[in-house]
Amino acid sequence: MNKKSDWKVHLLALVMVVIAEAIGTKRFQLGPGTVMLLPMLYALVIGMFLPALRLVDREDMDIASPYIGLSVMYLTAKMGTTIGPNLSKIFTAGPALILQEFGNLGTIFFALPVAVLVFRMGREAIGVSFSTSREGSLAIISDLYGLDSDEGRGVMGGYFTGTLFGAIFNGLLAGVLISTGLFHPYALAMAAGTGSASMMAAAMGPTVAAFPEMEAELSAFAATSQLLTSVDGLYMSLFLAIPITEWLYRKLGGKPAAGETKKEAAK
Amino acid sequence: MKFSSALRIFIISGILALVGNFVGFKVNPVDALPGMLILLVIVIAGYGLSRVSPIKLPSIAYISALAIIASIPGVPGADLVTKYVGEVQFLALCTPILSYAGISIGKDLDSFKTQGFKIVVVTLLALAGTYVGSAIIAHVVLKLTGAI
Repeated sequence: MNKKSDWKVHLLALVMVVIAEAIGTKRFQLGPGTVMLLPMLYALVIGMFLPALRLVDREDMDIASPYIGLSVMYLTAKMGTTIGPNLSKIFTAGPALILQEFGNLGTIFFALPVAVLVFRMGREAIGVSFSTSREGSLAIISDLYGLDSDEGRGVMGGYFTGTLFGAIFNGLLAGVLISTGLFHPYALAMAAGTGSASMMAAAMGPTVAAFPEMEAELSAFAATSQLLTSVDGLYMSLFLAIPITEWLYRKLGGKPAAGETKKEAAK
Repeated sequence: MKFSSALRIFIISGILALVGNFVGFKVNPVDALPGMLILLVIVIAGYGLSRVSPIKLPSIAYISALAIIASIPGVPGADLVTKYVGEVQFLALCTPILSYAGISIGKDLDSFKTQGFKIVVVTLLALAGTYVGSAIIAHVVLKLTGAI
């Protein structure tokens, strides 16, 4: 166990929070989507410079590690309280909207084979493939594996990437999917609700532009799908996405976990 | 980790969130305090449940379930939960998490550098996967039910 006091870690975290929040959220337009720089990204970047500035040592890093998993629980609680008021809307959503939620598992089948077979990634592949790596995914990986595990590095990298490029990418992808003519605009609108507001907005931009006469229905479908993902996301991830990802990872011959170093963040 | 140690961290990181909520969103900590306390109670209850419950689930499953139940309209106090927790900004709760992550991340920096490009590509594939996956299912179900 750590004997060193953890006050330095908390004080550093406090300073990082204040600096990050003082800078605030910055948005700028890039192509079809908005790039959002969020305070939490600044906090992460500041953290990366701390060892070079000799402000933290290895022991401080180990002290801070379980605190990630504990502070993530507030976020989980907050997300839960936004679900309750909307719970009844699930029952009126209709079969297409409900069933397309299982399409969110598509992350695994698109991403994991490339991660394991092409890039020869280790268990980072699990963290980055099981979902779209949004805030809820950080909470899940943090609770199951710890954010400073291989899986944690995967989901954090995915979180970074998605926050910076997710909206632009979804905007481009929507344009491509519309031009194939394979999908009804209703289906594309339902698919746009993947759990991130900025990604949904970017995906809906080209869709509404292509079918302006359906704007009201399209917006309603996207918003309901978004809501459904926020309701089922955590449970879908815990009970379906993570087990399927673990299973497929083994089937693909991914490297096993590195011995007993797996962290139990919250225990 | 001992329950009392966890409780101490809950309180400290709650204070960090209150400070961030004030600096970043100009919400007076006095206004945000009731919402933060409600979240704290839910967190402690869910965390405690996961330790004593015979059903072994991660604590966030219990926390999320309790938070959902506490905010369903009609459940006693649900309107107060929704009102007060609304004062606590989602993003303000994220920053303390990533601050602790930032402090502990130093030892992983080399791994990030070598994996960086791969992770970017795989993330974009994951985004394409959920979008295309959902679009296929939605399209097929809409066809089968005769909606389109």
